[in-house]
Parts: sequence; structure tokens; C-alpha cells
Amino acid sequence: MDAFNALIAGFGVALQPMNLLWGLIGVTLGTFVGVLPGVGPALTVAMLLPLTVKLDPTGALIMFAGIYYGAMFGGSTTTILLNTPGESASIATALEGNKMAKAGRAGPALATSAIGSFVAGTIATVLLTLVAPIVVDLALKFGPAEYFALMVFAFITVAAVLGSSTVRGLTSLFLGLLFGLVGIDSQTGQQRFAFGVPELLDGVDVVVLAVGLFAVGEALYVAAYQSRITGTVEKLKGSLLMSAADWKRSWPAWLRATAIGFPFGTIPAGGSEIPTFLSYATEKKLTKHPEEFGKGAIEGVAGPEAANNAAATGVLVPLLTLGIPTSATAAILLGAFQNYGLQPGPLLFDAQKDLVWGLIASLYVGNVILLILNLPLIGVWVKVLQIPKDLLYAGILVFATLGAYSLHQSWIDLLTLYVFGVLGFAMRRWDIPVGPAVIGLILGPLAETQFRRALSISQGDASVFFTHPISASLLALTALLIIVPWLVRRFRSTSS
Amino acid sequence: MRAPAEVALSLGVVALGLGVAGVTATLPSEGGYAGIGPNFIPAVVAAGIIALGIWLAAEAFTGGWREAPEHEEVFQKNPFLWVSAGLFAHMALIAWAGFIVAGTVLFACVARGFGSRRLARDLAIAVVITLGIYLFFVKLLNVGLPAGWLAPVLGGAGI
Repeated sequence: MDAFNALIAGFGVALQPMNLLWGLIGVTLGTFVGVLPGVGPALTVAMLLPLTVKLDPTGALIMFAGIYYGAMFGGSTTTILLNTPGESASIATALEGNKMAKAGRAGPALATSAIGSFVAGTIATVLLTLVAPIVVDLALKFGPAEYFALMVFAFITVAAVLGSSTVRGLTSLFLGLLFGLVGIDSQTGQQRFAFGVPELLDGVDVVVLAVGLFAVGEALYVAAYQSRITGTVEKLKGSLLMSAADWKRSWPAWLRATAIGFPFGTIPAGGSEIPTFLSYATEKKLTKHPEEFGKGAIEGVAGPEAANNAAATGVLVPLLTLGIPTSATAAILLGAFQNYGLQPGPLLFDAQKDLVWGLIASLYVGNVILLILNLPLIGVWVKVLQIPKDLLYAGILVFATLGAYSLHQSWIDLLTLYVFGVLGFAMRRWDIPVGPAVIGLILGPLAETQFRRALSISQGDASVFFTHPISASLLALTALLIIVPWLVRRFRSTSS
Repeated sequence: MRAPAEVALSLGVVALGLGVAGVTATLPSEGGYAGIGPNFIPAVVAAGIIALGIWLAAEAFTGGWREAPEHEEVFQKNPFLWVSAGLFAHMALIAWAGFIVAGTVLFACVARGFGSRRLARDLAIAVVITLGIYLFFVKLLNVGLPAGWLAPVLGGAGI
């Protein structure tokens, strides 16, 4: 009942006119950037971070959460109407959604994804409300050794297990860890890798890294390889309404997808790529209309889109309760908390009750606003989709440089931004994921602090990580995650 | 050797790791109760980067990086250079010419890189966007952005 009372108080915060306004701005902006091909939630939050330092943290975080959420809704519009999926989490939707649009059923496809996102988002927020206090109780028992083990687990799942190549994922992670070392060591005041440059003493800012990798890198890549390619936007013909048959086929898909998406979001397994594909596979297996799959089956849109949103909410569980980001966007949201001197974790639920529960309550409100924004106003978003590529990327870079420059008002940040942009270009070209680098930058310094703290407490005895049961089991699990897939591959290649 | 770029990148990663190791060697190692100093994690990171570089190089020399998607598009130098030129011009201009001028030049260069041939249209859109951003952030949110050449027209921060 404690959580219930806290949530009611949270609604009191979220429904204050100013916070409601920030939430509305956030979800609108989020939908807008979600619709824009090439701009994701990670990038948007990163670009806006330095510009919001003067806002009150509750309002700003409600806005950021709105962007995160809105981008998930908006992304589906792009995926369905444009033949190039905006983000990896939308690939599964693209399989059926774009086919439906080509067959003149864009309306029902957009409707099932918007309503499915709403249903899944709301159920997942209820689950978040129920699960968060339990995880907080558990997290209060965590010491530095346990936190360190948990962070190692998150590093390995995000970098080594997900993605097409373990070695390239780990390379990205280690680049992020290296950038995280730049600056002043928090425990001894020692300068590391700053080479006496004042801008580097503060460390590599997550804004510069994320905007460089995502915006500048993406712009350079698209310019160099795809500037002459134009996508075709499908026309929005006919009714937006779903028929009775559409409803009947969508409902179970939404609910199954929520059940798949939420747990996947909560474990450090890198966001929503896996659950969307799992949901797609599930619907394909269970459907009564297998002949429609690959030609525009509505379950194939309803499931992945709902899974996507449920997972996005699930990601907030480890972020808010443990301070562990499990996707690039979550890492940048963590950066937003840190900007205000707040460290998400069990203590935040105590010290900043209003902020945390206001934020959770704003998710319920945001879901309702998003449903309204996305269905009746769909025509507006279709127009946004038609912004030509040259103006789109020019605009993106104006905003990207604005975000980086306003950090210190220094051209050094702009140069760093360009260097990260070239790095992002190369990573994109040679299929090295950029997410692990962002997570490494944010989580690396926290992991180092916990590691050294654990060793300080044990007087330098490294066995603490293996004698504490929670820490030991997390590290064992991490080792299994690396060894088992490797053994399986080994076994397969020798037997064939 | 199938992919020279992959070999070069792999060796670059090894070189980076060696560089990190070199800097790490200059860091102090005393660390109080923990027994490890500010050089411990950098050493781990250096070792990791070197090992990953060797792993990447091994893949590159034995048939190329594994599971890499086919890449058929040809690199187009000019669009890449236009975007880069825009960013460097912006870097050079922002402090003295101001946000609006620098942003407009950046916008026009990037649009040109993406194939636009309508300079007048691009400049007009750019001025509207950058002026809007400037007024919103400087006058409304009190975020400092340089006015530069346009300072006499724009005035100071705050309404």
C-alpha cells in the first residue's frame, strides 16, 4: 500500500500545471523526433541536456521521460509508412507494418501500434509501480561488491551477448570505458588522460559523445553512402479505424507482447531489440492466419510494437532502483540525473520521493497524451515524415552543435564532437555498435568507484567479490553468458 | 588479406591500447586501504583494448571480421567533405560571428552535401531556424549563445 500512496502523491506532482506542460512538450517532441528518420530518443535527450540545466529537475526529467516514451510511439509511424526502419527495435514491425501500408491498410496498422503501445505502456507502468519498491528493498542490501558485480553483468550482456559480434561489442565498450577515465579521478584527485586541457578535466561529457556518435556520425555516414537514396513514404489512405476482426487479432498479441517485453526490459539485456523479435516469432507461431505473415499480418505489427513499449518501461526499473542503465538512452537519462546531482538508486526513492513518483505518475499521463497525439493527429506526423533529407540533416546538425557548444561555450567541445562524429561514422561503416560505448562512458566511472570502495572496505582483499553470495552469483552468471555461447559455437563448428 | 581497412582499424585499436598503457605507466599506484591506485583500472582498460585489437586483427587476417554485413554502397567523398567543412566553419565562426551566422553557414553546407542546389532557399530556412532557436534559448531560457556580428540587432539576454 506504501507504493500506492506514494503513487497518488506522485500524481499530485505530475498533474501540476508546469509539470504537465513539460510532459506534454516532452511527448510531443519525442513523437516528432521518433518520426524523423535518423533521430532517436538517445540523441534528442542528449542534445537537450545542456539546455535544460536551469530547469527544475522534476520538470526536466518528466520532459526527458516523455521524449523517451514519445519516440517509441513516433518510431512506429516511420516504420510503417517508410520502407526503412528508423531503429533496430522497429525492424520487426517493419516486416509486417510496411506491407500493410503498401496494401492500403496503413490506418489499421498505425492504430494497432498506437493502441498497442498505449496498452503495453500502461500495463508496464503498473508493473513498474509494483516491482520498483521490491527491487529497492533488495537493493538496500547491496554493498559496493554487489554493485560492481551487477555492473560487470550489465557490461557483458550489453556489449558481448547482444549484437552481431562479441569482439566488436566489447571494443565499443572499452572505448567508452577509456573515455570515462578522462578527467580527475574522483577518489584521489589524480588527473588522468586529460593532458592538461581544461575542457578535458571535467571528463568526456556524455552529451558530446552521444551527439557525436549518433548525430554527427549518422550525418557523415548518410552523406557519404546514402545521400542520393530517397525512401518512399506510403500514402495514408482509407480509415484509421480497426475492424472488429482487427481488434480480435490485436488484443491477445498486445498482452502477450507486454508479458515478453517488460521482463526483458528489466534485466540488463540491452533494451528492446530481442523482445520485439521474440514477440514477432511468437505471433507468427500462434496465428490462425499464417498465410498473411510476410504480406501484412496485423498481429505482426501489434505484438512487436507493444513489446517495444513494454521493454522501454521495463528499462526504467534497473535505471531508477539501481542506477544501472541498460540501453544507450537509459545511460543518457542517467546522465540527466547526474547533471542535477542526483544518483538514481534505492536512496533516491527515499530522498527524492516526489521526483521519483512524480516521474512514474507522469508515465501514466504521458501514455494517455501519446494516444491522443498519435491517432487523431497522425496527419501532422505524416507531413513531418516528408521533410527532405538535405534540410533534415542540416537541421539535426544545427541542434547537435548547439547542444555541444552550450556545455562550456568552447570550440574545443565542437572539435571533440567532430572527432566523435568521425568515430561514429567508422563504427557505423564497420558494424561496431555505438550503444556499449555510451554505456561504458556513464557506467564505467561508477563501476570503478564501487570496485575501489569494495576493496577499501576489505583492506585490499579481492576475494570479497567471490565470497559475498549475490556478487559471486552475478559474476558466475556473467561468466556463463560468455562461455556458453562460445562453447555452443565451438561444438557446432566441430560437429558439422 | 581480404579487407585492408579492417586490418588497419584492428592495428589502430592495438596502437590505441599501447598509447593508453604508456599514459597509465605515468600514473601513481598508491591507493590507501584499497591497495590499488588510480592507475589500476586504466591498466585493465589498456590490457583490454590491446587484447581486443589483437582479436580483431586475428579475424581481419583470417578472412575478415566475422558476421560483418555486406557493404555495397560506394563512399562519396564530396558529401562527406561538405558536411565536415560545415562543421569546421561553424567551429571557427561561432565565437566571433555568432550563433546565427555560424549556424546558417553550417546549415547551408550540410544541405549542399546532401545534394541541395537551392542555396537561397537553404539560407532563408537556416536564418529562420537559427533566429528562432536564438530567441527561444537566449531570451526565454537564459542560455548564453554568442550574438557575434548581429549583437547590435539582437541585444542582450532576457526580454
